Amino acid sequence: MKNSVSLCRVLPILLISGIFCLSAPGPVSAENGEVYVYNWSEYMPDSVLSDFQKETGIKVVYTTYDSNEAMFAKVKLLDGGGYDLVFPSTYFVDRMGKEGLIQPIDKSRISNLKHLDPSLMDKPYDPGNIYSVPYLWGSTAIGVNSAFVDKEKVTGWNDLWDPAYKNRVLLTNDLREVFGMGLKVLGYSGNDTDPAHIEAAYEKLRTLMPNVRLFASDSPKLPFLNQEVTIGMIWNGEIYMASQENPEIGYIYPKEGAMLWMDSMVIPRNARNVENAHVFIDYLLRPEVAKTISEEIGYATPNTAALELMAPEVRNNPTVYPDAETVQKGEFQVDVGDAILIYQKYWEKLKAGQ
Amino acid sequence: MTRSRFFSRFYLGFIFLFLYLPLLILIVYSFNKSKYGTGWTGWTLHWYRSLWDNTLLLDAAVNSLIVAGISSVAATAIGTLAAVAFYRYRFIGRKVLYSLVYVVMMSPDIVMGISLLIFFILVGLPIGFRTLLLSHITFCLPFVVVTVYARISGFDPRVIEAARDLGAGEFQTFRYILLPLLMPAVISGWLLSFTLSLDDVIVSFFVTGPSFEILPLKIYSMVRLGVKPEVNALSTVLFGFTLIMVTLSQLLVKEKKR
Amino acid sequence: MRDKSLFRRLVIGVVFFWITVFVFFPNLLVVITSFLKRNPVRFVEASFTLESYRSLFEPVFFQIFIQSFKNALVATLVCLVISYPFAYLLCRIRPSVRRYLLVLVIIPFWTSSLIRTYALVILLKGNGILNTLLVAVGVIHQPLQILYNEGAVFCGLVYTLLPFMILPLYAAIEKLDPQLVEAAYDLGAGRLQVFARVILPLTLPGIIAGCILVFLPALGLFYIPDLLGGAKLMLLGNFIRDQFLTARNWPFGAAASVILTAVMGIMLFAYYRSLKRFNGSVME
Repeated sequence: MKNSVSLCRVLPILLISGIFCLSAPGPVSAENGEVYVYNWSEYMPDSVLSDFQKETGIKVVYTTYDSNEAMFAKVKLLDGGGYDLVFPSTYFVDRMGKEGLIQPIDKSRISNLKHLDPSLMDKPYDPGNIYSVPYLWGSTAIGVNSAFVDKEKVTGWNDLWDPAYKNRVLLTNDLREVFGMGLKVLGYSGNDTDPAHIEAAYEKLRTLMPNVRLFASDSPKLPFLNQEVTIGMIWNGEIYMASQENPEIGYIYPKEGAMLWMDSMVIPRNARNVENAHVFIDYLLRPEVAKTISEEIGYATPNTAALELMAPEVRNNPTVYPDAETVQKGEFQVDVGDAILIYQKYWEKLKAGQ
Repeated sequence: MTRSRFFSRFYLGFIFLFLYLPLLILIVYSFNKSKYGTGWTGWTLHWYRSLWDNTLLLDAAVNSLIVAGISSVAATAIGTLAAVAFYRYRFIGRKVLYSLVYVVMMSPDIVMGISLLIFFILVGLPIGFRTLLLSHITFCLPFVVVTVYARISGFDPRVIEAARDLGAGEFQTFRYILLPLLMPAVISGWLLSFTLSLDDVIVSFFVTGPSFEILPLKIYSMVRLGVKPEVNALSTVLFGFTLIMVTLSQLLVKEKKR
Repeated sequence: MRDKSLFRRLVIGVVFFWITVFVFFPNLLVVITSFLKRNPVRFVEASFTLESYRSLFEPVFFQIFIQSFKNALVATLVCLVISYPFAYLLCRIRPSVRRYLLVLVIIPFWTSSLIRTYALVILLKGNGILNTLLVAVGVIHQPLQILYNEGAVFCGLVYTLLPFMILPLYAAIEKLDPQLVEAAYDLGAGRLQVFARVILPLTLPGIIAGCILVFLPALGLFYIPDLLGGAKLMLLGNFIRDQFLTARNWPFGAAASVILTAVMGIMLFAYYRSLKRFNGSVME
């Protein structure tokens, strides 16, 4: 009796010790090593991953994050190690570069760079594209459901303030984008750091609140498709996908200028498989691969060679591929440094003041 | 008596319906042709077929089940022992440790996630499966402790005294007297731990490694582009599987009793 | 005698080790962080300051706190009212069936809370199941705007937290001896008296446990209120998350977390003390 130790007590202890012993890093199963990719879920078609693996023998280990801020915190805490390829959005490239979290890309190893659209390169968030290679890009502008809203009447961000849209407006749940709109409506840049301007934007945004039905950064197309909102601030890819289900949902670029964003590929400073990361980047820049990516995911590719392979209805769709003038008028987000604290303070006030 | 029995069955049934309604909607929509769950456009098995091909999603699901399985069992074991220790033994720092158990429940997930990550880095543990497991056990612990403690308090201490007088040692008292009495709470604690572990996102995000993807993280990451109905299909499959297993074990137990 | 001290020492050792290593030290880091100064590049720098605590004394923070508190309190009470009869009635059923039903209660919660919340959206949206049903039956003529309002938020909170009330309640009510209840009736007590004087006090530990396991997580929940309420309100969870991730003001976030924990701790402590006074030796 004294010696029969209960199985239910021993089992967990055995399990735990077993797992500890066995969970040392496993043997490398691919012949040419691995590449650790950190990206959004579903932001890279499975076919691309498996084709790459088949062709090069490099195993792609793909893990995901659900926000740029969280990704930044994790990479920073790991001191730029652990991951080989990360996909931050515009101003995070800026910040990661400034804080030395990412390493310069060796352009000599990426022959397919020549396919990229020069007008989308050399942007303020990474002058000269030292650290980043563009992957997919898009805009944030105005989505409308023309069954309820007269498209002709909507010309700019300011129209969202129309009392006719009371409780029918959608905004993305991103403080830089919402305040970016507030600043642009007043004629300032979306990257403004002047506290007086930010406060003015806050006052302007307060007057918009009665119109706002919800803030959403998860599938913002759903409230449009569910007819809970009729107009709002939204990303172009969402409207493109929504229009496939409901052709009455459309996209309008505001006269004050749309907000543009670019998701880029960067290599963290202490990445272990730098060579493999470069091989993967080069693969992703192949025209056929870039075309597949853009078509499956629904956002625009910066790869001009890929564009030529695309069907004309997609290539000429202004929602996905705006004309050069719209891109000129638009503005890419950059890091605002410590002004983020001011933005945060007013964002809290905006939300708590309900 | 029959009227109160009717009321009792009705109430239980109604609450079960409330608990299962979202799940049923989920299951039905896994057969919906529409990609975005906005309206019914027709029956299809397409999502189940693409789920079969989606190795990343399936791997993440298996990973989550492994982590949840191990961490819930470990948390239940440690938590039960802890509840017994807090109730029966007097030792230095007992009150402080007991309060610290509550602190785990009171800290926001993100604070816990980041502090654990920094702690692991300072101590030099490689970030991966091990750290994920340790973190899951830690945040499941209080739920077991509180549940088991609630049950153990109010038990007649004379039963335990009687056992001691008859010559039983501490371990025997625990194994043959306390544990059977505590079983409903232990099981409840295990069920809660498993549930918590399966669905944890924020703490797991920070303490998991670059090679270990878990399901809730992957699902939350999908929201940027829209959660695909493949996830609904996966949940339906998991639910069906669990239901069958639970029902089977129930029938087997009944057989044994006969 | 040797067996006793070994088991006892082992158990205390494991508990001591685990809680000290994985709870005490990380939380010590949090407390230390709350007294440090923010550094834009390195998150914190090693200089002592009370700035973070001072900045918490803003009306914004109080508003956020009150809102989260209100959400959590209402959710807890509703969960309690729904779950108590459920757990009680469940305990009346044969033991073999009872355990099966208990597991059935929790299986739906093994699916991702995100997609369960999407299912709630499908249920509650303007042209969703609930509204279509109500309009078809004729109870209302226009669809109700439940979604992106407080109503939907409470539905979501109660739904998510229900098992955390049901399970501890079940565990505590299960040990209630039906003979005690019978005896009380035999002695001539009415239904209300039996409930208030016999059943309630004996199941009180379960009620407390359930309330704690619901209220504490509910205070920090923000994802589900955001999805169902339209993210128009800022809750404690978003606030603290924003400090750590968006504003990268770790000391401020840590200070908010410490204050939150302290307030919750004080409330719990006061609650236990008052219970002791009214109920003698129910706890400790």
